[in-house]
Amino acid sequence: MNCAEAVLAIGAWCDGELADDAAAALSVHVAGCAECRAEQASLVALRDEIRAQVPRYVAPPSLRARVDAELARAFADSPADARADAPPAPVRAAAAREAFSLAQLRTWWTRERRRWFVAGAFAGALLAVVVGALTGVVARHWGSDDIAVAAVESHIAATLGGHTITVASSDRHQIKPWLSARLDYAAPVVELPDSPFVLAGARVDRLAGRPVATLVYHYRLHVIDVFVRPLADAGDAPAVTMVRGFTVARATGAGMEWRAVADVDPPLLAAFVERLASESAAGQPAAR
Amino acid sequence: MTDRASFEAQVLPHLDAAYNLARWLTRDPHDAEDVVQEACIRALRYFQSLREGGARAWFLTIVRHASYDWIERHRDRDGGDAEVEVAADAESEPAQIVERRGDSRALAQAIAALELPYREVIVLRELEELSYKEIANVAAIPIGTVMSRLARARALLRQSPVLHAIAPRRSGGER
Repeated sequence: MNCAEAVLAIGAWCDGELADDAAAALSVHVAGCAECRAEQASLVALRDEIRAQVPRYVAPPSLRARVDAELARAFADSPADARADAPPAPVRAAAAREAFSLAQLRTWWTRERRRWFVAGAFAGALLAVVVGALTGVVARHWGSDDIAVAAVESHIAATLGGHTITVASSDRHQIKPWLSARLDYAAPVVELPDSPFVLAGARVDRLAGRPVATLVYHYRLHVIDVFVRPLADAGDAPAVTMVRGFTVARATGAGMEWRAVADVDPPLLAAFVERLASESAAGQPAAR
Repeated sequence: MTDRASFEAQVLPHLDAAYNLARWLTRDPHDAEDVVQEACIRALRYFQSLREGGARAWFLTIVRHASYDWIERHRDRDGGDAEVEVAADAESEPAQIVERRGDSRALAQAIAALELPYREVIVLRELEELSYKEIANVAAIPIGTVMSRLARARALLRQSPVLHAIAPRRSGGER
């Protein structure tokens, strides 16, 4: 080993990061080289002086208080869950509920099939009854609204796949043209700067077989997808639906239908989407 | 153990390290608080991605990202003099400096004046005492780069005009 190599390695050697063979070779070189010995002494002195003189800051009490408050907020919204190896809170809770409802449905269906088999001659009529009842069960568990189901499925897929956002921006002036360039309609984009809802970005998703503007908002730790499409494409639908534990809230305004999907309380999501629609209708001038 | 208790047990012990890193990267105590709070929000969101052990490097990675995001967002605002900031801060919050109460602020000023890539490896190595491997993970650079960047950072510190005012006990310097 020569001095040129040694100089680079001396720092790593002083940090204890050289492998045994390299450390041994360097040690031999340094023993016989005054310049490298001086370099080593210099580095050690620098390290010692840094550790003695340079501040290592500690978190001030104000920061600890803010973090505590953040934890309180985060764990007040979703129920405590002992499983440590599951997906993030909102989707995990929803997945547990989905499994439960599917199991319920399967049990119910099996009971109905047995009854049908025994009845025999009325198979056709009974099948119609079963299907009708099954639809009723689906409606009770899944809401009477195909679009709400599709919206939730899109939301889950995007969240689990980690691709809720294609264009990340909190600026509606960036998002609106981005969306307009990719859709055959102009979706209004609204910011709510005085609220805990933060516009985070957008993507283009699909709903009812058609591309749809999807705005993404963050509320504390929650991700809210808002699907915005022309009212002409949408029929009528309930203002609030629950699908697999997710809230789907609907509002209309500015000739558009707004569907928000998130794992947050229905009144909150309903108020949020109402505000989006009304602020669009009122017209944020620069957004048009 | 509940999620909250689990998070508190694994991540919060590194809050000081998080604040220290954010403080050195942003060079401002208030920005550092904002950055660490944002990092906690992200850490909560991604908590399930934390494998057994390695919570400190994991959390510092998040803090580093949040710091760089902050710096990027406020790039135009920060025309301040790094040396002045460090000195003023040290005087105004002596209680937050632990273990390393020193008379000489020159070295701290020299570190604060380093460009970010050099400043961060010095802080992670000398103040947080991370291994080269951990630094490589936190800073998302190869280990060889950690070694060469540290060597360069140390050389820059020794050559720093700020330090030449101090009684020289180092070797001549220029290599």
